[in-house]
Amino acid sequence: MGVMQPSAFEQILITTKVEKVMNWSRATSVWPVTFGLACCAIEMMAAGASRFDFDRFGAGIFRATPRQADLMIIAGTVTYKMAPVIKTLYDQMPEPKWVIAMGSCATAGGPFDSYHTVQGVDKIIPVDVFIPGCPPRPESLIYGFMKLQDKIMTSSLADRYKDIFEEVG
Amino acid sequence: MTDPIIPQAPEVPEAPAGPYVYDYAASPQRQVVMPKTVPLPSYRTYQAEVKAAAEADEAKWKKMQADYETAKAKAEAEGKDAPKPPVRPVPRKDDNDVKIPWPQEAKDADLLLLQAALGDKVEEIFEQAGELTCQVAKDAILEALHLCRDHADLKYEMLADQSATHYPAAAGFAFSVVYHLTSISRRKRLRLRILVPEGFVPESACAVYPSANWMEREIFDMLGIGFANHPDMTRILCPDDWEGHALRKDYPVVGWGQRDVAFREDRGGMIERIALQKAGQLGINLKQPKAE
Repeated sequence: MGVMQPSAFEQILITTKVEKVMNWSRATSVWPVTFGLACCAIEMMAAGASRFDFDRFGAGIFRATPRQADLMIIAGTVTYKMAPVIKTLYDQMPEPKWVIAMGSCATAGGPFDSYHTVQGVDKIIPVDVFIPGCPPRPESLIYGFMKLQDKIMTSSLADRYKDIFEEVG
Repeated sequence: MTDPIIPQAPEVPEAPAGPYVYDYAASPQRQVVMPKTVPLPSYRTYQAEVKAAAEADEAKWKKMQADYETAKAKAEAEGKDAPKPPVRPVPRKDDNDVKIPWPQEAKDADLLLLQAALGDKVEEIFEQAGELTCQVAKDAILEALHLCRDHADLKYEMLADQSATHYPAAAGFAFSVVYHLTSISRRKRLRLRILVPEGFVPESACAVYPSANWMEREIFDMLGIGFANHPDMTRILCPDDWEGHALRKDYPVVGWGQRDVAFREDRGGMIERIALQKAGQLGINLKQPKAE
């Protein structure tokens, strides 16, 4: 008939690209760093707790050190005094690393258009996903995280090292 | 009881000169408005206000009577009927009004004890809404704190809070520093207050209450009041290189403190400076060697 029967070889093996496997493994085990700045951190904790269960997406293991973490969730207001600390933590994280700016304060300064507040964490470190809300509900955080997973799945090693490849030629 | 004295809306002055980020003419709601009144709770001030209001009321009534007399004489001369005699206006009473607790005379034993023990050093004592306030001379605050903690009849063991307020419109002082004491054993609270002028350095309360350490640093950071004999009189909330004191009334909400943070792309900014500092402390050479 028209239906192709899988051969014995195909029944026991899956063929894929190395890049796809790496992206899949990265996207399904993103470990965030234990790091909260203000009230958004409470929502982040709620997202990690049993009702919303961030661990379903492989992101429930909040690491206590940036050296073991892949993701930094900026949950709260970033002040000028905190800014160098955030930058240091980001620099200590190993590649590949991603950043989620959670809430309107981390996104754009929020209501604090004043002397102590950095108007958006993207002035300090590159941000992958912005989540609006004051504070965002855990569903928003989970949705933002799923967007980040999509981004990781579509990313390529070639993208990250494109500049280097172009330099080398 | 007179009507509450409502402070008049102050005129909007010109924004002070400074390195502003924002255009203040385009956003008048961001202009710095200096207060013209001194809303410092005080029994003495309240008494003076009540007396002034009563005198104004009396003067108004005298003027109404004089106007009536002249109108009456004029009517008699013209042969008309005499006008109606005036009725003194009675302040309107409304039982639904919110009763604002005014400052009242001090009757509490603690305040009287403080006044008896410190004598002239106590400037004012009063009660308001059941809260005790004792204003002492600015040089005698350490003595008053010692007395409050150590006296057998006072026993205020804890300094619950210490804060300060800026009163730019006041004459003779610029700041009030307030000490909130709590007695856990007697379940009582007491407020000590000093009024300090600009540049005055009050004595630190750390010698009596160690919890004053960070609170005095916060006062120094926010208002610029330095404290003598403090173990570490540095900024606590703002970065160390901050200019100005943010809770002063002439400090704008936006403008002075805001700065361009430019160490996202440029690693040679703050991070490198800190790294070089640390490297200097450790004796490491972080600079990249150049081939020459």
